Parts: sequence; C-alpha cells; structure tokens
Amino acid sequence: MSTAAAQHTPGPASADGTAARARGLTKAYGSGETTVLALDSVDVDITRRRFTAVMGPSGSGKSTLMHCLAGLDNVSAGQVWLGDTEITGLKDRELTRLRRDRIGFMFQSFNLIPTLNAAENITLPMDIAGKKPDEKWLDQVIDTLGLRDRLRHRPSQLSGGQQQRVACARALAARPELIFADEPTGNLDSRAGLEVLGFLREAVDQLGQTVVMVTHDPGAAAHSDLVLFLGDGRIVDEMERPTAEAVLERMKRFDVIRGQSDGRGPTSSEER
Amino acid sequence: MLKATLRSFLAHKGRLLLSALAVILSVAFVAGSLIFSDTVGRTFDRLFASTAADVTVTPKETLDETVPSGQTLTLPAALADRLARVDGVAAARAEVDVDGITVADEDRESVSPTTGAPTIGTAWNPTERSPVELTSGHAPKGDAQVLIDADTADSKDVRIGDRLTVIGQEGSFPVEVVGIVTFTTTNPGAALVFFDPPTAQTKLLGDPKAATSISVDAADGVGDAELKRRVAAALGPGADTYELRTAEEQAESDVEQLGGFLDIIKYVMLGFAGIAVLVGVFLIVNTFSMLIAQRTRELGLLRALGADRRQVRRSVLTEALLLGLVGSTVGLAAGIGLAVGLIELMGLMGMNIRATEMVIGWGTPVTAYVVGLGVTFVAAYLPARRAAGVSPMAALADAEIADIGRPLRLRAVVGSVVGAAGAAALAGCAVSSETSSAASLLGLGVIMTLIATVVAGPLLVRPVIRVLGGAFPALFGSVGRMSQRNALRNPRRTGATAAALMVGLALVGGMSVASASMTESFDEQIDKTLGADFVVQNGNFVPFPREITERIRDTEGVGLVVRSQFTTVSVRLPDGDRVKTTAAGYEPELDEVANITYAQGDTPAALASGHLAMDKDFAEDHGAGVGDTLPVEFQGGRTAELTVGALTDQETAEGFGTQGGIYFGLATLEKYAPGGQDAAVYVNAASGTSAGDLRAGLEATLDPYPQVKVRDIADYKELVHDQIAVLLYLVYALLGLAIIIAVLGVVNTLALSVVERTREIGLLRAIGLARRQLRRMIRLESVVIAVFGAVLGLALGLVWGVCTQQVLALQGMTALAVPWGTIVAVVIGSAVVGVVAALLPALRASRMNVLAAIAHE
Repeated sequence: MSTAAAQHTPGPASADGTAARARGLTKAYGSGETTVLALDSVDVDITRRRFTAVMGPSGSGKSTLMHCLAGLDNVSAGQVWLGDTEITGLKDRELTRLRRDRIGFMFQSFNLIPTLNAAENITLPMDIAGKKPDEKWLDQVIDTLGLRDRLRHRPSQLSGGQQQRVACARALAARPELIFADEPTGNLDSRAGLEVLGFLREAVDQLGQTVVMVTHDPGAAAHSDLVLFLGDGRIVDEMERPTAEAVLERMKRFDVIRGQSDGRGPTSSEER
Repeated sequence: MLKATLRSFLAHKGRLLLSALAVILSVAFVAGSLIFSDTVGRTFDRLFASTAADVTVTPKETLDETVPSGQTLTLPAALADRLARVDGVAAARAEVDVDGITVADEDRESVSPTTGAPTIGTAWNPTERSPVELTSGHAPKGDAQVLIDADTADSKDVRIGDRLTVIGQEGSFPVEVVGIVTFTTTNPGAALVFFDPPTAQTKLLGDPKAATSISVDAADGVGDAELKRRVAAALGPGADTYELRTAEEQAESDVEQLGGFLDIIKYVMLGFAGIAVLVGVFLIVNTFSMLIAQRTRELGLLRALGADRRQVRRSVLTEALLLGLVGSTVGLAAGIGLAVGLIELMGLMGMNIRATEMVIGWGTPVTAYVVGLGVTFVAAYLPARRAAGVSPMAALADAEIADIGRPLRLRAVVGSVVGAAGAAALAGCAVSSETSSAASLLGLGVIMTLIATVVAGPLLVRPVIRVLGGAFPALFGSVGRMSQRNALRNPRRTGATAAALMVGLALVGGMSVASASMTESFDEQIDKTLGADFVVQNGNFVPFPREITERIRDTEGVGLVVRSQFTTVSVRLPDGDRVKTTAAGYEPELDEVANITYAQGDTPAALASGHLAMDKDFAEDHGAGVGDTLPVEFQGGRTAELTVGALTDQETAEGFGTQGGIYFGLATLEKYAPGGQDAAVYVNAASGTSAGDLRAGLEATLDPYPQVKVRDIADYKELVHDQIAVLLYLVYALLGLAIIIAVLGVVNTLALSVVERTREIGLLRAIGLARRQLRRMIRLESVVIAVFGAVLGLALGLVWGVCTQQVLALQGMTALAVPWGTIVAVVIGSAVVGVVAALLPALRASRMNVLAAIAHE
C-alpha cells in the first residue's frame, strides 16, 4: 500500500514504454512423455498505451499467455516482468497484491460479485486494498462508460452489456498499469460487443491505459493497435493496425497449416 | 432412473457426508440407549432371578418411601424355625440386609461407592444362590470380623487385616477385614460388607432376635407358587403383616427398585437422541435444498428428456433413503460402541456388567432404521417436492438458483399464526394460578413458539442480520460487506442453518433462567427461614445414626441442638383425598433455629403431641382447618388421629415429592414410626462461643463420620446450588451435543456455499482478494449466522425462562433471576462456534486454484 503511488510513475525498465515483458516464457502441462507445451519459449513485449490483441486457434496458448502475464498462473520456465517488477517467482501473497494494485481484469462472463451493486463492484479492488478511490478519475470512468444511472443496481438487474461495462469500469477504476481482457465480448450480442470494444479503445486513446485482449473474433481484434498471433505455443506472427478482413485471412492460414500438418480439419471445440 | 440416482448419490457423497453424520449421531444415541438398557435389564433380571430364594418373606411395606427415613423394618428371626417345619420346605433362613450403613477406613474415609449407591451390611449365610463367593480369607466369626467385596476392596484399597469402623444405626464399632468375596454375577454397584449372623442382628438391627427377611427353599417337587401358598397358610392370620414373594416376584420387585435409576439413564440418552434428531433434520433439509438448487439445470434436463415429476421426486427421495440406510447402518454400529462405552462407564462407577453379554434385541435395529430412514425421508421430502417442481426450461435458462426468489409469504402466515397462539399460551401460563394448567400451557407455548420461530426464521434473517452485521462494512470494508450480504443472500438457508443452533440455545436460555431463579428463590428462602448457626446432615439427604447426634450434643460450645427426621405418611383429608407425602418431625425448640410464618397457630401448637401443621393453601384446597382431626397412616402400618394445630404461610410448601408441608413434633413421629434416623440436626452456639470455634469443634467431632458435614448458612446454600446445578449440567451436556450438530450444520452450509460460489471466489482472487481476506469473509459470514441463531435462541429461551419462573412462582419460587453473565457468554461462545465452523470451508475456499475456479461451471 505504501508503494501505491510509486507504482503509477514509470520505473526505469518501463521508461522505454514496455508495460509487461516475457522472455523465454514456457508453460508445460503434465510430465514425461505426455508433456504438452502450452507456451514454448515465448518472448513478448506489451507496449504502454496501446491496445494489444492476442489471437490464435483453440489450444494455441493465448489464454495461458494472458494468465502467465497477469500472474494468475505460474510458469514452467522463463521470466515475466510487469513494469520493472519480475513476477516470476513471486509468492501468492505478492502476486495477489500485484493483481489487486497494478492489473485490471475483464472476463468473458461472471465478472461481477452478485451481492454487490455496480458502484461497489467498480471500487472493489480498491476497497479490498483499503484505498480511497480517486474520485475525479472514477467519475470520468463512470461517465465515459455511461454507468452513472446504473450505480445502485445489482448485477442481476443489469443486461449482459451493462455488466461488461461495469467490469470494464472496475478494470479501469484503480488506473492499473495493465488491463487484461479475456474474451470480453464472447457472451455479448454484436451491438453490446461493439460498445465494449469501443470503451476499451477509448480507455487507451482517451485515458492512456494499456490493454491486452485475448479473443478469437477477428472483428474484435480489428479494434486493437497490434495483433499477436499464437500458434502451438509460439508467437508466429503479428499485425499492426489490423482490419477484420486481414486478421480473418491470417487466421485461415492457421487452419490450412493445421489441416496439413495434423491431417485434421480445424478444431471445433471452443476454448474457454 | 435408478442408475441416475445412484450415480448422483455417489457423485455427491462428499457433500452428503455431514448429513450422514447427523443421521449417524441420532441413530447411535437411539440404538446405544436401547442396547444399554436391554443389556443392563437382562443382566439384572438374571442376577436377581438367580439369587432370589424360592420364596422370600419380608415385613410388609405399607407405604412406598418417598424419602429415606433410616427406618429398617424387621421381623422375628424365629419365624425361620417355624417355616422350616412347614411341609414342602427344605430350609428356611433368617437374613439380615441393612442398607445405609457407613464403613470408614483407617483414614476415616468412607469406603462407600462414590456414586451414592448404598453400602449394604449383610449376614454371611453362603448358599449356592449367593451372588458372591469367598475368594480369600475366612468366614467372619464373632463381632469384630467382616468380609468385604472385591470391587470395593480394589477401588478403596482395602486388604485383609485392615481395620475398619462400621457406623450403623445402633452405633459404630471397630472391625477387621478377614476375607474378600468376589461377585460370581454382576455387581450392581453397591458395596457389600458381610458379618457373622448374630453380629449382624445385634450390631446392625440392635435386636438379637430380629431379621429383615426369611428365605425359604422348596423341597424337591414343590413349585414356588405352591410353596408360597403353604408358607402363607403356615403364617396363619398374621400373614398380612408380611410380604411373600416367589423367586420370580422377588426378582421383579428388585429390578423395579433398580429400574428408576436405569430409566433415568435411558431417558437421558433418549433426550440426547431427540436433540440429535431434531437438530439433524435441519442439517439434512438444508443439504438437500442446496444440492437441488445446485442441480437445477441437471434436473431441468432430466425433465426436458421426459422424466415426469414423480420420477424426479422419487429420485431425490431414493437418494435420501440411501443416505438414511448408510447413516442408520453406521449409526447402529456406533450405537453398539456407545453402549459398550456406557457399560464401561458403569464399570468405573462400580457396576460391573460384562460388555460381552450385550443384548441386542430385534427392536434395536428396527428402531435404528426407522429413526434413520424416517428422519432423512421427512427431511428430504420438501426439497424433493421442490425438485419435482423444476421446469424443463431450467435446463436452458442461465438462472443460477431458483430458490432465492420464492416468497416467504406462507412462512409469514404460518409463523405468525402459530407464534400468536404460542404467545397466547405463554401469556396464559404466566397469569394462571393453577400449577398443573400453567405447566401444560407452558409446554404448549414452548412447542408452538419454537415451531413459529423455526418457520418464520428466514423472515427474521434480513432485519436481524442487517443489525448484527451492520457494523461489518465499517469494520471490515468490502470483505465485511460481502460477508454480511452473503449471509442475507438466501434467508431460507441462513434461517435453517441458524435454527439448529437456535433450538439448543433456546433450551439452555430457558433452563438457565429457570435454574437461576430457583437458586435465587432458595437463597432468599434459606435466608428467611433458616435461623440455626449450623446444620449437620448428609450431602445426599440420607439420614444418619443417633450416635452422631449424641456426639454433637457433647461437643464443647454447643448451645442448642434441634433434631429433625423425615418420614412417609398417608393423610386422609376432610374432602376425601388420600395424600401420600413426606412429612417432617422437629424437636420443640424449632423456633430457635427456623423462622416459620404462621397463618394460624404457632410452633408449640404445631408440635404438640397428637398435632400437626400444614400449609394454609393446601388445607384450604382440601377443606381442612385448625382443630380438624385427620387419620394419618405411618410407614410400618401404625395409624394415628392427629389434630391440625397450626397453618403455615410458607412459600415453598410443595415440590420434590412433598405436598402440603406437613410436619409435627419429633415425639409424635417417633411414636408412630419408630426406628427412624435423624435427617438433619440444627445446632446453635452456646453463648460465649464464636461460630468459628463451634465449627472447629463440630468438625473435630464429626471427623470419624465421613457421611455427614457441618454447614453454615452459606455452605447450606451451596449444597442447594449444587443440587440444582446437577440438572443444569445435564442441560449443558444436551446443549453440547446440539452445538456439535449445529456446528456441523454451519460447516455444511458454508462448505456447500463455497462450492456454489466457486466462480465468484475465483473472480475475487483474480482481482486481488488475498487468501487471508477470503478466509475472513467466510469466517464473518459464519459468525453472523451463528450469532443470529444464538440471539434468536436466547430471546426465545428468555421468554420461556420467565414463563417457567411464573409457573415455579406458584410453587413458591418467587424470585426471578436472569443470568446475564451466562447469556453474554453464550453469545460470545456462539461467535467462537462460528469461527470454528468456518475453519474448514474457509481453508478450502482459500486453497482453490484461481484459474480452475474462474472456469468452474
């Protein structure tokens, strides 16, 4: 808590504009013969004030990459930094505090605590930390997301889109160094989805936030500044200023390669 | 469908564990108490049947004693010789059995069993039917030798050659242990001391020609009933002053005498079983409700696939019955273990029953399964109906828990109707002036208000927990806010969980108010009425020999000694009622040691020869007044015409087997019921002697007599407190069991809630809730549920307690005392219970893998 203010000032390692960094990031499941490499020595830099999308077919390791970068999952090998803090090797207590103070999260569904109203959900990470929210910033976030008249509502009284907007507000409220969004539009209809993507875009452009979004929807990825393509645990490609068509084309090539290499068609099971 | 049910049962076995535990506990207590009482009953049946003579002749007991008077009824020993000559009699022996003697060892400690079981002095007449055999030493000869039973010898470390002092009714005398006898059958728990027969007659009965019974053995070919007839005929016209029993009848009568004690154990055990069942039901209802809520989608799918309502309901009930079956089986086994434990415990208390001779009647497993299956079936019935009501749409809907939104209107209506009726009954009991109707109104009111509170509990969850947890957000921030709201989330569940705790605490609340009020009332009474400097008596109110009284009189510094005795009388009253009750006899100086308020007459009138005193209300009820002459029958068969000399205006005239507060002069008592022993002796210091000096003197005098103690007013109060406390300890033990099950209930609810909220917990952890904070959140929820149960229970208990006191006030216990200390302690204790109950669920929640939890379906 004492370092809360310091964490918002760029440290020496992040002076170059890197919000998060991974070197040789490897994540293996199982052991011996049956070992599966979800991430295979990935090097990645997440640039500040940019909107990065992570794409890839099911099983490519995109969610695992996000979980490892966010300190939700431990790594098998390699190093991960958040700003200038190396998070690999941190204990659960430190990781929890790091997530609370320096990272914002949006999940596909079940983003809100049902017993708390919208306003309480938004300030929850700061309440947990025992910190006072920055009222001016909070007002700005709430107004940007258009939640002013929904603050007293419980999640069950909100539509899916509104719930994701509250989740977005919560991710932004503590002004974290990095926001991770895992399929934030996965459960929404296209209009509500577009709205949420618009807000994430705004968060980067207007509010100067850094966003990493995992998605399998090329249309969603098109809202980002940079798309990282993951395949079989490696970053196989990246695309600046993507369009939905270009991303879709790139994704189709995965299916072809896969179809050729495995002798199978595109996997049909949906990744969580 | 059965296969699906079985699968589901196995899949949820972890979640059903605590419910199973509740069933097991209930069944174990039921089965354990049945096995125990069957075993003990059978053992004693066998013991008494094998030791009883073919026919036993005893003096007739005209009145069953309501209090031990110390009187020993005798018959002439010569009767044995007369009966031995009767045709068909092989042998007749005069027996001497005197219970209520005290035997002190060289350290002047009593060798009597610590349980309060008697020490029996018996004439050594070994026959093949004796329950004991001489295993070392030799038979007693002369007036200074005794045998002692091996169990007593072991526990009190008495050996052959030890010198003991026997303190009998006729005085104390030294003896030497010359042999040890061992029980060949079960030892019922008493200490046995055997004397040479003439010694038993002269030293214990004070009459060399007396005996307490005659044992008659039949000659070959003569049946017991036939023998009894012949003996009766031989006794001639005097036969109705004797009681004749065949071996079978004697065994029955012996078992009956022991029965009271065994019944107490049985009822206590069944009380435990009842509490376990009652509290367990809440736990099972909750478990099934939660499992069904969690499986709403699954049940919806079954319905969508074509299962009809009946099948779904049956599926859930089958699951419940499986649980009941498993629980009953394990419970039965645990019950056997419990019975073994109880038998061992009895062994420690001196009653040696062999656990290998355990009796498991067919009734025991039947009852066990009926209880186990019945409890689970009843408890699962409502949840099963609800499960059947799940619509096929539930399979498609994302709705999480269908249970929360259902209105509580029905509960509100039932709760307020039953509650109003219960409150009316309690109010009625508070204003009633008739003890019996007040007591039944109290019982009715207690049951109805309990039902009302259980039914309406969920409605009280919101308002009460809002208040109880009101400070949580301020104290614990969002963690506190979330735990308070989690407790409010499903009022039905919180209500049922807390109800289990509530039942136990209501009971304790009520009992502690009642007992505190009793204690307070007795204190006031003792202060008001007891005027003596000291009272000498036995802790169990058992009378003691005259020798002790004489020694007290001779003690230096003693000014005045007032003796008192109790006896059982049967009084015919002017309205035709015959009342059997305990009556007291006092020496004339009663006014010096007690302050009695008279409505009419005074102490000299009450204690005058041929007179008696009674309570004015009792006299009014039965149409008696001063000057009336009443026929009074005494123990031993003598009758007298006594005149009412005074009416008292006492507060406690009734209770503890006493009615009417009847007393008379000690001379009157000794005239009609001779041979009694003093029950209490009141002592005042001589002028110039300080209380401290007198006490020291009395203690020195009484040192050789371990059965009595000197008590001043404060000690006397303490003795009374201890008597009441025994009752309270029993209640506390019941409470302990109720709390254990209630804790299981809270653990159960929390554990299932944690599973239900897995994703929520994962999310909280992801956005930065530390493990410690998560644990605190669950702990606070648990505490608020437990305290809610405690507050409800204690509120109910206080109302019950105050109403009980109103009923007791009719018996003269007018003081109302609320033990606030106990109540505060119980509330704090319940918070601790909450913390304890949360330990495992909180640990489990905090150990959850964050990623797996987020992805949890």
